Amino acid sequence: MSVLEVRDLSIRFGGLQALEGFNLDVNEWEIVGLIGPNGAGKTTAFNCITGFYKPDTGTVRYRGADVTRVPPHRKAAMGFGRTFQNVGMVKSATAIENLKTAQHAKIEYDTASGLIGAGPTWREEKQLEGRADAILDLLGLNAIRDSKVGGLSYGTLKLLELGCALATDPDILLLDEPSSGMGPEESEELGDRLLALRQEFGLTMLLIEHHVPLVLRVCDHVYVLNFGRLLAEGKPSVIQTHPEVVAAYLGGEAPEALEATQETEEDAALDAMTHAAVEHHAEVAPPARKRAAPRKAPAKKAAPRKKAAAASQEPAEPAEDAE
Amino acid sequence: MTATAETAVAAPPAGHAKGGPSLAGWLVRGVLLLPLVYFFLSVIPGSADLTERGTEWVVFALVGISLNIIIGYTGQLSLGHQGFVGVGAFAAAYSLTVHQVPFALSIILAIVVGGLFAMLIGFAALRITGLYLSLITLVFGITLEQSLFQQPDLTNGGAGQPAYKPDALIEPSRYYFFCLAILVVIVFIDWRLTSTKAGRALFALRENERVAAAFGINVTAYKLLAFVMSGAIAGLAGALFAFKSEQVTGEDYDFFLALTFVLMVVVGGLNSRFGVLVGAFLFSRIGLDYAIERFHWIHELLVEGFLFVPGFGEERIQFAPRLIGAFLLLLTLLQFPGGIAQQLRPFTRWFAGGPFSFKHDVDGGPGTVEGSSVRA
Repeated sequence: MSVLEVRDLSIRFGGLQALEGFNLDVNEWEIVGLIGPNGAGKTTAFNCITGFYKPDTGTVRYRGADVTRVPPHRKAAMGFGRTFQNVGMVKSATAIENLKTAQHAKIEYDTASGLIGAGPTWREEKQLEGRADAILDLLGLNAIRDSKVGGLSYGTLKLLELGCALATDPDILLLDEPSSGMGPEESEELGDRLLALRQEFGLTMLLIEHHVPLVLRVCDHVYVLNFGRLLAEGKPSVIQTHPEVVAAYLGGEAPEALEATQETEEDAALDAMTHAAVEHHAEVAPPARKRAAPRKAPAKKAAPRKKAAAASQEPAEPAEDAE
Repeated sequence: MTATAETAVAAPPAGHAKGGPSLAGWLVRGVLLLPLVYFFLSVIPGSADLTERGTEWVVFALVGISLNIIIGYTGQLSLGHQGFVGVGAFAAAYSLTVHQVPFALSIILAIVVGGLFAMLIGFAALRITGLYLSLITLVFGITLEQSLFQQPDLTNGGAGQPAYKPDALIEPSRYYFFCLAILVVIVFIDWRLTSTKAGRALFALRENERVAAAFGINVTAYKLLAFVMSGAIAGLAGALFAFKSEQVTGEDYDFFLALTFVLMVVVGGLNSRFGVLVGAFLFSRIGLDYAIERFHWIHELLVEGFLFVPGFGEERIQFAPRLIGAFLLLLTLLQFPGGIAQQLRPFTRWFAGGPFSFKHDVDGGPGTVEGSSVRA
């Protein structure tokens, strides 16, 4: 059974059809990428999935249950951890306070006993702090423990935000451009981290990402959105040569795309895609790195996909919370 | 921005010296606090005049804590807090005098009624924020003042609803201690509010409701909770005020009172319990008013000398405190956004077991409301 199953999702904002007939599946232990040009509806899809927007039509199923109309805070409690495009944290609070705030849904004492200072609340507050410190350890962010979030650099913020999403003790992690604001090395490190987190916590992930090497490296499956519609889906290696995808990123029509099938992986298409990516992310990575990454990616890709298939048969061992 | 972050990273947090001060250090702090304890537990109850003023300070402090929940923790501005205090006062007086309910029950009723009225504003606050919500609270307070507080049933035909204390509390100093004990309880609750999940939830949704929701915080419930708590504490303050003056009239709860409340919280220091207590002290009749009455030259200097306003007699002596209050507000808004609490922070930090330094702490000071750029 898939962890997340999105069917026929549509939402309209005034005259703009932001999403139309969007389908998506995320299986246990998979890392699924959601890519597409700016304004394609990726974040809108995230907001529909996490309950911030109410879709006009369509359903979102989480482990078989219909959660389309479940409000965001209850989704967070169910196991949806998410990050935001422009960093979602409490800026005037410190890092440790943010990590404690993020554990809100996991706190066992109720609000009233917190107010009267009942015994268990003090103990649990200590535990919260311990868990928050463990996450700081895990991400190597101990140095900023008591710094206000508002003054941190963007890359650090994105990492800490990932920590906050982890602090919500998620089952599925939805990351909105986790590598934005990071240099090539940092984003490579992020890729390692995401793979390690999946391993360690048994996480399933859905990520919006523009950084192509990262997508190729970590994603088992990729969905491409364009103008609110699903343009293509498939393995990253297939997607990167998909003529329509290439056309969408480059702009304009791709006449041969219409009859082209997924098998026609011609060097020309690959080069076009790579060039598109390079142009798109010229500020993020030097071209040389871009060319190298796609070539070695397919070989690497096969393994996690199989692992995911295996994991879906025998349930992943429940990863214990960092204590 | 990055510079502050780097210095913060480079310097290990000095305030977190493990273990804090030694036993002797705590003793010194305790001894230095003794005059304050002596003042509140002995000097004030020792004089009839000061007891009366001191009780008013306690009531103001309760209102301040109540108002701070809305202005400080949720980031909204209430200009109708005299309304909540007023309904509490009338609820207590009316239920006790007309319906003969016991004293304790009348106070509980005041808390409940205050909370319910604030819940109405809370529902508005779910959809409306900022300036328009302030406007709603303003209209709410003035409407209550002009309609409900003028009902002959409630006001005993306009003469004022009597609210007599039970025999055990008739002694003013006893009533002062009674109120002080309640204040201690409310300060404790407020402290636990800010250090448990409810307080963190409020801070999160003050800045960004989407982020709060993503953290699993029920935005609707916590917003309502903040307003209900604030209203309940204001209602309690109203009841205590009613029993202090033993007479409740609508005129006691006019708009000027709401302004004084906002003034004392802002000047005292938003988001700071200590600041609110100091602000309440300053703006109740034990603070500026008392100082000016005791030291008449302040009044002469400010009003007659400095401003050349002649002929202001004894009955207009309130003019000077208002002038000083307005000046302090300007000073706070322009120069010291953290209010008095921010200025006294080196001392309060030291008394709380931290190191003594006049440096402003970049981190851990009273939280300031910052705009957030999250678009989601």
